[in-house]
Amino acid sequence: MNRFLHGLTMPERRKLFLEDPEKAMSALSEDEKAMVRRLDWKAMQDYGASFFCLEKLARTRGVSNPEMVAAFRGETLEEFLKTRRVPGAR
Amino acid sequence: MARIIGGIGTSHVPTIGMAFDKGKREDPDWKPLFQGYERVARWLEEKRPDVLVFCFNDHATTFFFDHYPTFALGVSEQYSIADEGLGPRRIPPLKGHAALSRHIARALIEDEFDLSVFQDLPLDHGLHSPLTLMWPSKPDWPGRVVPLVVNVIQQPLPRPSRCFALGRALGKAIESYPEDLKVAMVGTGGLSHQMIGERAGFNDERWDREFLDLIERDPERLARMSVEDFMRRGGNEGAEVIMWLIMRGALAPAARKIHQNYYLPMTTAMAVALFE
Repeated sequence: MNRFLHGLTMPERRKLFLEDPEKAMSALSEDEKAMVRRLDWKAMQDYGASFFCLEKLARTRGVSNPEMVAAFRGETLEEFLKTRRVPGAR
Repeated sequence: MARIIGGIGTSHVPTIGMAFDKGKREDPDWKPLFQGYERVARWLEEKRPDVLVFCFNDHATTFFFDHYPTFALGVSEQYSIADEGLGPRRIPPLKGHAALSRHIARALIEDEFDLSVFQDLPLDHGLHSPLTLMWPSKPDWPGRVVPLVVNVIQQPLPRPSRCFALGRALGKAIESYPEDLKVAMVGTGGLSHQMIGERAGFNDERWDREFLDLIERDPERLARMSVEDFMRRGGNEGAEVIMWLIMRGALAPAARKIHQNYYLPMTTAMAVALFE
């Protein structure tokens, strides 16, 4: 899983993932593919994905770090931002 | 001989670089951050160091878990900007100082710090997100960098005491370089933040303020703490501030903090401090 995520630092892998995600994920197990399809950050984290590898997937899919942190906390982004001093700084 | 003229401690949050790239200097949500770096940028402009020795970490970008070095020193004449999933930032490649790097590698290994050496690898935001707020990147960087990459993301991490001792050895190594060079140390990371687990979103401003005080006046006390102490007090990922101890170890014990800025807008406390 981490190897797949890390591969998204390569433009050609990113392009393939965005155009044909199933082909790009062919080395992953069915459970792993399902987590990536759902962008289930908490499930991927609990499964053992490195936060820093998850960041590569987040950037590829246009997801911000506050969104990921909110997911780890079991909150929506809006709920999480209410706990921050400067919610616009993202 | 080469001379260490001062040091900088700074956060390296990727959003600092993103805010810079999006031109948010005057955005009220970001202004307190940018303003905090103005004094540092002015100091660099006035003192004109030839080289910044940058202690930072890679974020599973250039290095991967198939081989994560504890301490790795770059020895290239140039380093490209890494692609972290959005394409490389549009800033010039970093200019290295191969001769100084190689001298440092030899001197440290002679001093029994058996670090890894790398070349021709791209560098990620750990180095250049804070750099863009301190050094002009247009038309090109005004000086060179020597990158020291520290593993703070995959257990087992180096001990804080080892980082401090490495800083002392690094200081000696730099100051034994025969050419007249002005060198500034940079230690990056932190301050308090935790990105993962149930405590994701954790910060502790009291601990951050204590850290900013101790790094100036009693770094030995910080060096006596364990990595786990740093994680407990500053968050899992906040423990990366042990890289400031490398910078501090290379400075004179009597070095004084002449500027500090602290801003905690979102998930990571963003700090910058200047030592002379």
